[in-house]
Amino acid sequence: MRGLLALLLAALGASVGSAHEGHIHPAPAADLSPQAPLPFALGGPFLLIDQHGMPRSEADPEGRAQLLFFGYAACEQICSVALPVMADAVDKLAATGVRVTPVMITIDPETDTEDVMRKRLAEVHPDFIGLTGQPAALERAYSAFGIERKRLFADQSGNDVFAHGSFIYLLDAEGRFLTLIPPILTPERIAEIVSSHLGSGAGG
Amino acid sequence: MRYPTLLATGLALTAVAPALAADGERIQVTGEVIDTWCYFSGVMGGPDAVTGSAHHTCALWCSAGGIPVGLLGEDGQVYMVLKIAGDEHSNGGDTQLALASHEVKADGMLYRRDGINYLVVAEVVSDEGITHLNHEDFGPVPGFAIPDPNE
Repeated sequence: MRGLLALLLAALGASVGSAHEGHIHPAPAADLSPQAPLPFALGGPFLLIDQHGMPRSEADPEGRAQLLFFGYAACEQICSVALPVMADAVDKLAATGVRVTPVMITIDPETDTEDVMRKRLAEVHPDFIGLTGQPAALERAYSAFGIERKRLFADQSGNDVFAHGSFIYLLDAEGRFLTLIPPILTPERIAEIVSSHLGSGAGG
Repeated sequence: MRYPTLLATGLALTAVAPALAADGERIQVTGEVIDTWCYFSGVMGGPDAVTGSAHHTCALWCSAGGIPVGLLGEDGQVYMVLKIAGDEHSNGGDTQLALASHEVKADGMLYRRDGINYLVVAEVVSDEGITHLNHEDFGPVPGFAIPDPNE
């Protein structure tokens, strides 16, 4: 029974590419009218370690905007949807001159070693940054974005399966929160939202 | 249908900054709590098949797996639920799972960003349960969402 969750969402993830043309109820087009501030603060400073062992804060060292997601490398649920969608959006933005770095902060640091993240994220996109760190440092990042995580069970392979917050966050180059993005959107729509915040040609 | 109101009592939003909260819009939305991924992507079928009792089991799995839940209003708009009735989750929390596929009237604050309706539900005013009984038309959608007790 536990495998059903992975089966369902793996099927969803595998369908992302073809789903773009199959929209029956597409989300509304991006609205450039004034944004309603959310009733809670999102974002803040953190200092973690990337998959290459280098320290990284909320700021992008190359001066690019960032798409930030909280997940884990072995996740066959929402991460299998969100990470490829983020990667596709980054490529679509790059084609228009908007350079954005995709970033994942692990919610499973016990499993997501630097080596594990390096291999997994390289499969998704060469620019993907994976971040881990000491528990207190990770908790600071989780707290900044209101991320809840809960271990649900171990799957048939013995891997822990977590429930966790699943929105994607758009940050500017300094790491300031710009907006949140539902992970169910298409890469095209995500790119549209990012462009509306950054403008064409933004980023280094 | 949405009902802007000036009522400010009873909202579980006391922890938010008042200046920011003022930019939201107090509304009531009546509609069905849906699985937003299957609804928008169309990967499991058309919108008639990925709502209601036909899609209930899949909606539970998707919510548990991280898909944010939405509220499909009578106005045809989808409201992305950020939090609901004190449950600090947009998916997979006890409240979200208990309300999957249910017809509810939700009272909360609407925040429009990037052309998307975000809803912070302060109170589920009414819960009619699953009223969209379309499983007789479609069966379970998808069929493999139903656990096989022999596995």
